[in-house]
Amino acid sequence: MIELKNVSMKFNLEIEKNNSLKTIFIRLLSLKKKNKIKKVNNEFWALKNISLKIDKGDVIGIIGPNGAGKSTLLKLIAGVYKPTNGKIRVNGNVSPMIELGAGFDGELTARENIYLNGAILGYSKEFIDEKFDEIVEFSELKDFINVPVKNFSSGMVAKLAFSVSTLVNPEILIVDEILSVGDIHFQKKSEDKMMSMINNKGTTVVYVSHSMNSIKKICSKVIWIDHGEMKAFGKTNEVCKKYVASQQ
Amino acid sequence: MLDDFKNFKRYIFLLRELIKRDFKVKYKRSFLGVLWSILYPLLMMSVMAIVFTNMFKFRMEGVNFLVYLMSGLVIFNFFSEATNNTLTAITGNGTLLNKVYIPKYIFPLAKVLFAGINFLFTLIPLFMIIALSGNEIEHTKCYLNIYYLYLPYIFLCALMFALGVSYILSTVTVFLRDMIYIWGICLTILNYLTPIFYSIKMLPESLQNIFKYNPLYIYINGIREVVLFSNALTPSYLITMFVSGFAMLIIGAFVFRKNQDKFIYYI
Repeated sequence: MIELKNVSMKFNLEIEKNNSLKTIFIRLLSLKKKNKIKKVNNEFWALKNISLKIDKGDVIGIIGPNGAGKSTLLKLIAGVYKPTNGKIRVNGNVSPMIELGAGFDGELTARENIYLNGAILGYSKEFIDEKFDEIVEFSELKDFINVPVKNFSSGMVAKLAFSVSTLVNPEILIVDEILSVGDIHFQKKSEDKMMSMINNKGTTVVYVSHSMNSIKKICSKVIWIDHGEMKAFGKTNEVCKKYVASQQ
Repeated sequence: MLDDFKNFKRYIFLLRELIKRDFKVKYKRSFLGVLWSILYPLLMMSVMAIVFTNMFKFRMEGVNFLVYLMSGLVIFNFFSEATNNTLTAITGNGTLLNKVYIPKYIFPLAKVLFAGINFLFTLIPLFMIIALSGNEIEHTKCYLNIYYLYLPYIFLCALMFALGVSYILSTVTVFLRDMIYIWGICLTILNYLTPIFYSIKMLPESLQNIFKYNPLYIYINGIREVVLFSNALTPSYLITMFVSGFAMLIIGAFVFRKNQDKFIYYI
């Protein structure tokens, strides 16, 4: 179960430039001169006052234009961000499929990276030991298992990452677009795997996509976000229809 | 707090994997590999030994200078390596922290423990020097004694201290990248302010009273009392060591915890 209460998320666009001694000195000096620099309002609210409740087993789609706050919402649910205001409650272990292979180290071999990445995702050693052959077989990289990952092609890295991160059937699955990676053969395989994870009974799924077709195919309910605000939350067909109409 | 602890148990495996990765990456391309972790401090100490005993001719009456120097050096080098590596523990893993939830305190901890393991390797040449150097006529021979049992305790205090400092440094670096350079200078200053190759007794009394509160010196002095003079440490000294290390760890953990939710905006 996922519950958000009045959740807002603020980013400060100025932060990027501010963390060096130079800027601190400049600010100090300009204060002394009493040249009060006009404070530019660079706050950006990626999400404003979102409240929603997702029950166990629901498959929820999130739609909206680019920059609407969809990925921010996913990261909040995954625990990567803490909300500026409001409360989030998430019951159950979350598997974030937001970005694959982020934890890979190019210097390490595929075998070592499976363990490292597994650990990052919170698996235990015993669990990876047990599933190791399964991962290798699914990734189709048996011949390259002792090769440093930096020598892999990007397709191979993606295949390996996909195989590690889809190992468990999580209670909450967070998906940013359906991942179909690798060559045509593997694309089919990975898509099937994802669909079987999504269709797994009892798994709560939060799914972001721009493809109305796949949203309609998978989701029971849809959240429509625009400029950080929740425009609608309800039955898939109704919300999709409104959204598509608003975009034309 | 209880949540953190449960959390920790789940991520112990990750901690081990991170330390293992540091080892593997460090020695990956070298011909001698992990052997370097013993060879490197051994050779470094040999160079220092030759420079300080033959070129500068540093001596202290009735004290085995080589052991005096090395016992200070191993602790300082540990502290220096631990804090230097940890500066970028958070910023260096920025992309990862931006994508997956991982308890952030794992990263500085892994770096300090990695330095701690390297430190254990440097004890091998240290004990070799203790066993081989000095002579009985000048009363500079060191002997194995029962008080060596204090050593693991002292190391633990030093580890806590380094960890505390590291948590503060990794936090500050997130907000102020210049810290990487500033800390390099701080370490050089600290190197001279800690009586490593000189004796605290060479200083005027007023300075002595300040210098002896340097926690690094407290640990170094504790080790010297044991390995050089076979002296027991007083209970109050043992408590001072623990308190300085533990207090630093608590302060560091507090600073880190207080700021960790803001990291994500700056990395």
